[in-house]
Amino acid sequence: MLKSDLTLKRRDWLRLASAGVLSGATVPWFESLANAAIKRPRGKSCILLWMDGGPSQQHTFDPKPNGEFKSTSTSVPGIQIVEQLPQLAQSMEDLAIVRSMSTEINGHYDAKYFLHTGYKRTTAFEHPSVGCIASSQVGLPDDDMPAFVTVDAGFDRPDGGRLYRSVPAYLGPDHAPLAVHDPAEGLENLTPNGDDLDARLKLLAASEQRFKQQYSLAAVGAKQAAFNRAVRLMRSKRSRAFKLEEEPDSLREQYGYHKFGQSCLLARRLIESGVSFVEVVHRGWDDHNGAAKPVAARAPWMDAGMATLIRDLKVRGMLDDTLVVWMGEFGRTPGNGNGHFCRAWSSVWAGGGINTGQVVGKTSDNGADVVDRLVSAPDFMATLCSALGMDIHKEFLAPGLRPVPLVEKTAKPITELLG
Amino acid sequence: MSVIRSITAFAVLLNLLILTSTRHASADEPLLESDVLPILTKNCMGCHGGLRKQGKLDLRTIPAMLAGGESGPAIVSGDSSKSELWHRIESDEMPEGDDREKLSAKEKSAIKAWIDAGMPTVSAKQQNVDPLLPADKKHEPREVATAIDKHIERFLKSANLQPVAVCDDIEFLRRVYLDLTGRVPTAEQATQFLDNSTADKRTQLIDTLLATPEFGQQFGRTWRDWVCPPELPSDDNGGAQPHKQANEFGKWMGEKFAAGEPWDKITREILTVKGEIKSSPQVIFFGLVGKGGKTTPDGTAQAVASLFLGVQLQCARCHDDPYRDWSQQQHWAMSAFFGRSQGDFNKIEVGKGPSKKPGEIEIPNTAFVNSGTSVNATFLDGKEFKVEGNEDLRKPFVDWLVTKDNPFFARNFSNRVWFYLFSKGIIAPIDDTRKLNPPTHPGLMKLLAAEFAVSDYDVKHLFRSICNSQAYQRTSQMAPGTDEQMVYALTKSYARMPIRLMTADSLYDSLAMAFGDKLDLRTRSKDSVTGQAAPVADAYLEFHRRFGTNEEDAKDFTHGIAQMLTMINHPRLLEGSKSLDEYVKQNKEAKPEQVVEWLYLTTLSRRPSKEEIGEATNYIGETDDTNKAYTGVLWMLVNRSEYILVR
Repeated sequence: MLKSDLTLKRRDWLRLASAGVLSGATVPWFESLANAAIKRPRGKSCILLWMDGGPSQQHTFDPKPNGEFKSTSTSVPGIQIVEQLPQLAQSMEDLAIVRSMSTEINGHYDAKYFLHTGYKRTTAFEHPSVGCIASSQVGLPDDDMPAFVTVDAGFDRPDGGRLYRSVPAYLGPDHAPLAVHDPAEGLENLTPNGDDLDARLKLLAASEQRFKQQYSLAAVGAKQAAFNRAVRLMRSKRSRAFKLEEEPDSLREQYGYHKFGQSCLLARRLIESGVSFVEVVHRGWDDHNGAAKPVAARAPWMDAGMATLIRDLKVRGMLDDTLVVWMGEFGRTPGNGNGHFCRAWSSVWAGGGINTGQVVGKTSDNGADVVDRLVSAPDFMATLCSALGMDIHKEFLAPGLRPVPLVEKTAKPITELLG
Repeated sequence: MSVIRSITAFAVLLNLLILTSTRHASADEPLLESDVLPILTKNCMGCHGGLRKQGKLDLRTIPAMLAGGESGPAIVSGDSSKSELWHRIESDEMPEGDDREKLSAKEKSAIKAWIDAGMPTVSAKQQNVDPLLPADKKHEPREVATAIDKHIERFLKSANLQPVAVCDDIEFLRRVYLDLTGRVPTAEQATQFLDNSTADKRTQLIDTLLATPEFGQQFGRTWRDWVCPPELPSDDNGGAQPHKQANEFGKWMGEKFAAGEPWDKITREILTVKGEIKSSPQVIFFGLVGKGGKTTPDGTAQAVASLFLGVQLQCARCHDDPYRDWSQQQHWAMSAFFGRSQGDFNKIEVGKGPSKKPGEIEIPNTAFVNSGTSVNATFLDGKEFKVEGNEDLRKPFVDWLVTKDNPFFARNFSNRVWFYLFSKGIIAPIDDTRKLNPPTHPGLMKLLAAEFAVSDYDVKHLFRSICNSQAYQRTSQMAPGTDEQMVYALTKSYARMPIRLMTADSLYDSLAMAFGDKLDLRTRSKDSVTGQAAPVADAYLEFHRRFGTNEEDAKDFTHGIAQMLTMINHPRLLEGSKSLDEYVKQNKEAKPEQVVEWLYLTTLSRRPSKEEIGEATNYIGETDDTNKAYTGVLWMLVNRSEYILVR
């Protein structure tokens, strides 16, 4: 890409990029993908930006007058966030901040579990994570692309407790995530090895056909279907969504060359190509020595990655059908953010047709309590699932003959967001 | 810990019971377990079960139904018109609330008919079932095998089902090798068996394999997986992955199985262990089933219940089980036996622990109800226990556990072995033994448990008896167009062998044979250690990360795109095979057909058909480099359904 591209104004650039003028010249296929966004027969898709370890709300989206970070005005009059996030401040009309998350659990793993499933951990059985639920409820059935992909966006430090792994539990293995370990490398083993794959597949196909004649069984069908899906994915033009190098350098730079920004870009490409749920995990927000310094260091890439993602989705006309949620498993203690704090923290929402340009809920002046519109973890989950178009009253059957509703029965979606 | 996660478990159970019930006198007679309990569980027990007893009504058992609640007895047996439960259901008063779905006409009529018929149950009909062999002495494996088949035959006859044919030698060979040694046979072992024309060669092979150390290794690691699989999320171990120590535990069990040690002895050595892991690998059991890497009395009780008794106590930790007749009291009364020993992955100390007094335990504040209540140690069957002195209470617990008239112990183990070989327990799920979840084949269950007990818990005797039965040796083939319901019925009634997915261990060992090397599939750089990708310590763990399965997965194909992409494109699978190189080196004159035959024997345990030789040699002919072509054939073979499935 030419250096001069970088001098274009951002909005102009995005307009050009979306029209295929910049990217189309080098990668024709990409243009057709952009124009022919996958039609979703049911529900919406979602990108979950997971800040593992618990990001500080006062150093991000709920600044306080005496806080360590100064606040700045945003594109929506009356709403302020920290000045370290200038791009997001300019996109405030497309964001909704929920400042009244109050979620009971202060331990990393149990909190990750609670916020990913909407249920507290029990010893009896595991609950499916929200990505797996989305796969089962709004995923495109029998598609070339997987329904749920997780993207590892790297880490600052290996803190933040044990990693949460999304499990489909009683929804079944079809809804397990496909993991991308490095956005720059894309999906592992996606590229054929050896120069005679076609010949080998042909050799295999004949015997598979015969085996199916002798053993006409569901397990054989399932094996052959999984195999065929893998080959379909390899062969599908859409699998190029895993290849970031097809994006113009200038857009990659807009997203930021930090792994997080590249993961956001990958997430957009995946959603565009038919994936229903992408979880981007960035680890290391467990700032026990004070949040100011590390968050100041992270803010530029987080701001760029997330803001560009929202703008990019908007320009492509995808924002209404793609919900973006930014969060961790809890917030941090008011003031310097030394400790875990589940009593009053923030999550940020965009897209998916929700009402943006607003703040929901309020914390007290010292930030220690929610003073308005408390949102519990089940409420949060009910909102997310409703926004994606799921029937939140649906029941699954967990082990031990236990019927488990998609979200806890007490859960109440945040109506201010859903409208 | 046994985690039954199949969403269909319930439906499976129902169907089975319906199938079972066809044996009974009147086909129209509704039975509690098959026809009525499912309706009550789904619609009523949430409020009138163990968790909540609204109106003081508990519908989990017949005595509780008859006792009723605040409005008197819920049911008058034989007379629905006098039964409060029926009136409330018929009028749609229950399930309560405008937003609740009411019972359908069909469901209502089942309940009415069941009450009017006098509340018949499957369990009552099973009570005096004949095990077909007297329980007073150990029998020859042949005799037991014959009795097994007779039980199944009776079932099939009453269900009007025809069993499928006995499998051919190829199917048997591969199946029995994978089940008893955890890997496919070598090419030599395969030809040796296939070319042997002795009449009782199958019995001989079973004996041979049971005598190998690999039998122990395979069943030992199976137990390790039942306790805690190496890589699947093990929720309660604090994120640590003590997989090496867990492997040592599996190996330790394997050596005991291989040496023919009786199950009660092995059980005792696990459950009463103390000291350091260095000298006793089984120490890790308690840490694996505890929380955060530490032992817990309740975690131990739940694991022991599931693994050694075959019952699920986990729901009863915090409250009475909503759907099963287990009380929170029973859960903690069992936990109390483990309240005076504690430790972690590395050691167990006796005389310390949450119990302030031996045999007494306090329900912790994490329970939903009764926190702070003190509970005394009592055996699960209600037998009282008196603490004498300050001894390790795990000893008297094991004394009770392994005694031959304990109905749980032998039944659980034999049901687990049956499950291991057939992918379905005679009682299913395997750890949900209770009166109202009866076995599909009560006589068979009784026979196996009695034979196992009277043989002094001889593990190999049990395997030998089952593997020699016709039931174990039926084919898994199924012609296209067979009605799916029929396939299902045949499989569930042991009239055919199900087809199963190889476990990660079996696949790892079998691929190692084909490639002459354990496959190291780690490709990621060491610094990519976040998000979903936990650091992977070694090739074995990496393999489990990719191909690990849950115990309930066996009968389904649970691998997805990620596993298939690994098999298709991972560079290691195209890098060639040391054992193939070795074969070619030693057979320099070998024609492509011969090499192809060797490859088929090494992977699929059979010789290729003429058609298959033709296809392979064509492919080889079209490839410029013969060695590369052989690797391509090997790739094709290990990517076949026939390879990764145990048929």
